[in-house]
Amino acid sequence: MNDPKPYLSPGPHIFGNQETPRMVRDVIIALMPAVAVSIYFFRIRAFLLIVISMAACVGAEAAIQFLMKRKIRITDGSAVVTGILFAMIIPPALPLWMAALGSFVAIGIAKELFGGLGSNIFNPALLGRAFLMAAFPTFMTAWNAPITLDAVTGATPLGLVKFSHNLDISYLNLFLGNVSGCIGETSAAALLLGAGYLFLRKTIDWRIPLSYLGTVAIISFITEKASPGTYAGPAFHLLAGGVIIGAFFMATDPVTSPVTKAGRWIFGIGCGLITMVIRLWGGLPEGVMYSILLMNGLTPILNRITRPKRYGT
Amino acid sequence: MKNTIKMIIVLTVLGLLSGAALVFIYRYASPLIAQNQKDETEKAIYKIFPEGKNYDTRIIGEDSVYKVKDKNGKLLGYAFPASGNGYQGQIDMLVGIQPDLATLAGIEVLDSQETPGLGQEITTEKFENQFKGLKVSPSISYVKNQKPQNPNEIEAITGATVSSKAVVTILNERIAKIKKDLNK
Amino acid sequence: MIKDFIKGLWRENPILVQVLGMCPTLAVSTKAVFGFSMGLATTFVLISSSVTVALIKKLVPHEVRIATFTVIIATFVTCADYFLKANFYSISKALGPYVPLIVVNCIILGRAEVFASKQNVARSFLDALGMGCGFTLVLIVLGSIRELLGSGTIFNYAILGKGFEHWVVMALPAGAFITLGFLVGLFNWINQKWQR
Repeated sequence: MNDPKPYLSPGPHIFGNQETPRMVRDVIIALMPAVAVSIYFFRIRAFLLIVISMAACVGAEAAIQFLMKRKIRITDGSAVVTGILFAMIIPPALPLWMAALGSFVAIGIAKELFGGLGSNIFNPALLGRAFLMAAFPTFMTAWNAPITLDAVTGATPLGLVKFSHNLDISYLNLFLGNVSGCIGETSAAALLLGAGYLFLRKTIDWRIPLSYLGTVAIISFITEKASPGTYAGPAFHLLAGGVIIGAFFMATDPVTSPVTKAGRWIFGIGCGLITMVIRLWGGLPEGVMYSILLMNGLTPILNRITRPKRYGT
Repeated sequence: MKNTIKMIIVLTVLGLLSGAALVFIYRYASPLIAQNQKDETEKAIYKIFPEGKNYDTRIIGEDSVYKVKDKNGKLLGYAFPASGNGYQGQIDMLVGIQPDLATLAGIEVLDSQETPGLGQEITTEKFENQFKGLKVSPSISYVKNQKPQNPNEIEAITGATVSSKAVVTILNERIAKIKKDLNK
Repeated sequence: MIKDFIKGLWRENPILVQVLGMCPTLAVSTKAVFGFSMGLATTFVLISSSVTVALIKKLVPHEVRIATFTVIIATFVTCADYFLKANFYSISKALGPYVPLIVVNCIILGRAEVFASKQNVARSFLDALGMGCGFTLVLIVLGSIRELLGSGTIFNYAILGKGFEHWVVMALPAGAFITLGFLVGLFNWINQKWQR
């Protein structure tokens, strides 16, 4: 699973069928620490959103596959993974029906209408979130403080640094996840635990996370040195927001990321660049979602231009 | 050769007919269009100054300024158009200011092409009402995601800072100019 | 004869089948009433120019036919634009530059070139009417769906209650693409069912 198949061809090739359940199981196990921490910090809201998203994703998959007269393959678990991942990246106060709608867009439009598992161009969970972001921008940018669930408008750590230049950061809270944000993205510790498991099982390739996080670190290091009062440093930019869940769980999606080694390096660097450009100079505090979606769109091209020359041609 | 002449004749005749048709429609439509524009301005003036009964138009340079009076002839304030660039296109507004030139009476967005649901919220009463009684000195400014603290501040629309900022910038520039013009 | 009219509504629908006139389709279908007015304005221009072209087709030398068509279309577009500005000021403002832009709508030049310059006046009239109605219908459907989800109303009548949360995306260009995609998909699906 670590390395692509011995032959390379453009277009996303899903790995062998019997491999999918193992990979799905690994990802679900890897997400468990983050799920547990999110339920601890965001209580009943996190629990409800995760359950609803999973149910909506599986339901949407079954319904669309039935309508399109495809084989119903909800038992492969990929819809469950999409559901959990989607729930991880929505704000805790989001109305439940919006979460269900987003899940439906993720599975129904981003995945099944593009041809089902293995044929989708964009990461389904992220596209579902992008849809909600465009449809309900006020709900998608309303945040709650952890544990108390008090509404704190516009006050994710990234928002505070960007709009108020408040550089008084508690790195411990940021690391543990005791900050406002999307329910599953706040806790770097839990996500790193899960990512470590995925590396042990060799379920994900190290190139994309490394190049992604490396690019973020380098850019934030340079910009902090250039103007220390306005920009936060690498530790902040790596721990805050969705970079960690993005780099380990979204950008590594085998279907929507390049299969070649060189392509993966470029993919990760591109994600890091776009994320930082949006975070530092864009209109939004966070850019992980758009960075990965944009690079998803480039994946077929990356596969083509980084394809090793065939011997003898 | 014969064909060339035919081409010239056909195009000339067609051009003449088309021109004639356009003259006709223009003569029919232009007074109505002018009336529509005047109605729109008038409606906006009386919306900003609900007690206004009539107004004098004064042309300063290329800009019009409307001196709005109530039924006793007392000066209520000045109304004047202001426009500038928004997020996606031009924003046209009518601005009302009290006679002291320090307090806004209100604004009315006449025309804008901002993002629906976000920037286009500048046309809502909720946004426009923030400008009622707003102090213009030293200049209008905006705050984000919190209630305004000072009498010269408005709250920007969530997710549409660019449009809110555009309105504020247009107002500041235009008000600075109108102050100079009226004090001449 | 009746076929000339019917085909524009369904089998050769200018938007769903020919995929022409995408600029106004995507731009002004934010509300049903805008789609309706845009459709009517386009239909007016389409009928007038098709009939005019059919009337004078024998007089126009082949080499300058496109120039002739363009002048005719531009004249009618300007008439429509002034008429809207004079009598429906608010709609004209909402449609903005898209009324003058009817002049570059491929449907109109396309019908003049493909149909009206080869057929008689009556058939050209029916063809233009059919195409115009097909265009208008799709714009109304598109506009209604986007208006319903984007602002909870259809033709400005509140359908969904106050509690309905507006889907901002439907009022944005992305919403136009998504809705049109679903509409074309539905259209093709119905056609497939019919053929069986």
